[in-house]
Amino acid sequence: MDARDAETLRGRILDLETQLQTTKALLRRIEGSKLGSQVIGSTPFTAQVSLPLGPSTHNLMLLSDSALPLGSFAYSNGLESFLAHHKPIQSGQPQLSLFHKFLKLSLQSVAYTTVPYAVAAFRDPLDLMDLDNDLDASTPCNVARRASIAQGRALLSVWEKAFAAPAKAHRLEDSEAAAAIEVFARDLKIGVLSSDPLKVNGHLAPLWGVVCLALGLNLEESGYLFLLNHAKAVLSAAVRASVMGPYMAQTILAGHDLQDLIRHSLERVWFLQPEDAGQVVPTLDLWVGRHEMLYSRIFNS
Amino acid sequence: MSLPTSPFAPSASLPGTGQLVLCLLPPGKQVLQKFTYQYPLKLIAPDPHHASDDKHVTIAFLLTYGGGLVGGDQISLKVELQDATRLVLLTQGSTKIFKSPNRSVVSRQILDVQVGPRAALCYLPDPTQPFAESVYEQRQTFYVDPNGSSNLLVLDWVSEGRRARGESWTLWSWNGRNEVREMDERSRGRLLLRDAVMLHDDELAGVSLLDKADNMGVFGTLIVYGSIFKHLADFLVQEFSNQPRIGAKNWAANDSTTQSENAKEVELSRQREQQDGLLWTAATVRGFVLVKFGATELDGARRWLGGLLRKEGTVEKMFGHQALLCLR
Repeated sequence: MDARDAETLRGRILDLETQLQTTKALLRRIEGSKLGSQVIGSTPFTAQVSLPLGPSTHNLMLLSDSALPLGSFAYSNGLESFLAHHKPIQSGQPQLSLFHKFLKLSLQSVAYTTVPYAVAAFRDPLDLMDLDNDLDASTPCNVARRASIAQGRALLSVWEKAFAAPAKAHRLEDSEAAAAIEVFARDLKIGVLSSDPLKVNGHLAPLWGVVCLALGLNLEESGYLFLLNHAKAVLSAAVRASVMGPYMAQTILAGHDLQDLIRHSLERVWFLQPEDAGQVVPTLDLWVGRHEMLYSRIFNS
Repeated sequence: MSLPTSPFAPSASLPGTGQLVLCLLPPGKQVLQKFTYQYPLKLIAPDPHHASDDKHVTIAFLLTYGGGLVGGDQISLKVELQDATRLVLLTQGSTKIFKSPNRSVVSRQILDVQVGPRAALCYLPDPTQPFAESVYEQRQTFYVDPNGSSNLLVLDWVSEGRRARGESWTLWSWNGRNEVREMDERSRGRLLLRDAVMLHDDELAGVSLLDKADNMGVFGTLIVYGSIFKHLADFLVQEFSNQPRIGAKNWAANDSTTQSENAKEVELSRQREQQDGLLWTAATVRGFVLVKFGATELDGARRWLGGLLRKEGTVEKMFGHQALLCLR
């Protein structure tokens, strides 16, 4: 290498530096224009953000919300009475394990007695009236009947006041289901005035099926959510009755045991016709029915 | 010339089927217009007796050979109570449900009863007793007058099996369904009441049938309906609401000197209920009174229910003391 070579190298560096400067300037110009375009919002190059969540998912979330005004928190579904019947608590059987037993019994019982009605109503909303009558005939005690009717009617008013209009506007709703609910609601109002002792009642399970259908949920979601909401109601009652704290309750809710139990219970009753539904835990009828005998109580069932 | 038609109706009888039609001949004589049965079902009906209000009452015993159903036996009985008749249906000892060779072999008992206007059925049988590995299905449907003038008293109960042999809810499957429907020529009739219990041994989440039973050895349902049983229905609801509150302090118990004879008796029967582990509820449902009960021992339940019905008195008055034969 000699002095001539050094001269060439110096020229080369100058060349590269100029190239670098030009490129940087170009980049700056492009970036500057992009920033400007974001403010205005009219460039075809921006990536579209896609949320694969349709209105039916939105409705699913609303129905699973514990703030859905059905008043489910007021019903322990027999838990309060169950605990009272197992007092004094024997040593070696803490209240928590008693609760776990109750939750399992309660979920299975609901799966076999009422889920078939929700599923059947979803499959054929025009049967709503008959299903309501048959479920009423199959509910053996006043306490459970009161709880089911109060929540069913609450669901009906939530539909009428909140869900019906947006569902119609979005053309999301299954029009058959919406019509069935409308007819049912009208008959319920007329029924108050009639003297027929076997009126329209408004039980929760069949209405749940039809409302889920009208809100675009699928059958599996509706069934699963029905049982999950039941589990949530029992757990919230357990927290309020100081069986456990809120973190414990959330642990159970999040746990795989509960998910498996709901899934397996659903699988067993999936093809069960409402007329073949029945009580699989006969003691539960006794506990729920005897809730009225409690000296002090904090729940309605 | 056509052949004369045979005076004998073609035989339509199938094994295990039976039919019983009860009607009233003027001025007040009850006769069994039809009374047929086929093996393994057997019916026995002594001459009708008079109830204390001078009306005829017919008793029929439902029997099976061997005192129960062997795996796969099917029994189907149709009963019709025509206008203003009174029938007592009884059994002679618990209906044993024997072991099935496998789960698909179902022993079945079907009972269809039409209760005509102003007619009354009193059906207080012994419980069914499902042995280990038995499979049983029971469908009982009662069709009543749509105007509500029929009367019904139906007991349906099931025990845990042969406790002496260590059997406690070791059955494979026991399905019982009782329905009351409005009588309707064209359709099945509107459903007025349904009571269905399903006991299966298939465990879910580790909960066995024994866990579900929660120390109970017998479960039962009593259905009360109609004007004849109005007083009984009111009595049962009253007795239920008079029970001591759960969790309340019993102040009366310590204060025995001031108690009357009556109060002592009440207290005694309550203590007996507690010893028998008896739990019961009564509810007014759609014009019916539905009583559900459970007890640790069959004898406890029998004593309690028999005691209640005797104390109230309608059954003995309207149907005679024989009606309570299975509750002794």
